[in-house]
Amino acid sequence: MDWKKFFIAFVAAFGFIFVFGFLWYGKLMHGAHSEVPALWRTEADFGSHFSWLVFGHIVMAFFLTLLCSKFVPAGGPGPCAKLGILVALIYVGVDLIWFAVQPLTTKILGGMIVGDLIQFGVAGAIIGAIYKSSSPVAR
Amino acid sequence: MKRFIVAFIAAYVFMFAWGWLLNGVLLKDVYAETPNLWRSQSEMMSLFHWIIIGQALLIFAFVVIYASGFAGGGVMAGIRLGILLEIAAIGMRMAIYAIQPFPGKLIIYGSVNGLIEMIIVGAIVGAIYKPAAARTV
Repeated sequence: MDWKKFFIAFVAAFGFIFVFGFLWYGKLMHGAHSEVPALWRTEADFGSHFSWLVFGHIVMAFFLTLLCSKFVPAGGPGPCAKLGILVALIYVGVDLIWFAVQPLTTKILGGMIVGDLIQFGVAGAIIGAIYKSSSPVAR
Repeated sequence: MKRFIVAFIAAYVFMFAWGWLLNGVLLKDVYAETPNLWRSQSEMMSLFHWIIIGQALLIFAFVVIYASGFAGGGVMAGIRLGILLEIAAIGMRMAIYAIQPFPGKLIIYGSVNGLIEMIIVGAIVGAIYKPAAARTV
């Protein structure tokens, strides 16, 4: 495994996932979220838990990069974007389950589904574009 | 294709039964500590089909990922894939914990449960699904 490229791909994926999450969930879907305020932490409470948000995104980006490097050792944006979308489908499944058990609105559910597909599809493409193993890797 | 379908059904049945046992029975009291975060029982039942569809989609995506990039590795490859995907999901859970007022213990129980669940799902899929080339050798 080419660890230098792996690290760069991981950092780039983390940067994208974090910025996209801020814009999509924090800005674009802010109005939809405010329809069910009881489901969210208050601004001050969120501030004191912010490190969890950062650490959670680091874990997601790291393991998505690791998965891409195992799944597509040769790299490439197309195959890794495909993997990202497949991983997003797992999260979409979880979104549907959450919708059944939490009082989320259909607007929030729709935003989560579209957000997951874009977030992981593009993150996969970024990882694939950067990560290319220097030698053939046996699975 | 036949093994794909059998692997999907076996993993789905396990996830459904496990999910019911854990979330519906064992963790019931933990969920009851935060009633404002959950739908009422009757509301959940009226939306139960979304749980079935969500679990089916999750398992379908898992089997597709396994079949496309990990098949041939057997049970261990399935378990490795399950662990990788679940640790990424733990990252997602941490991010959700930052924005929703869940008790910390629910995140820990959910993550431990998820890890066990995905290891078993991976083992089931890895044991059942084999690519055509591997079966003819």
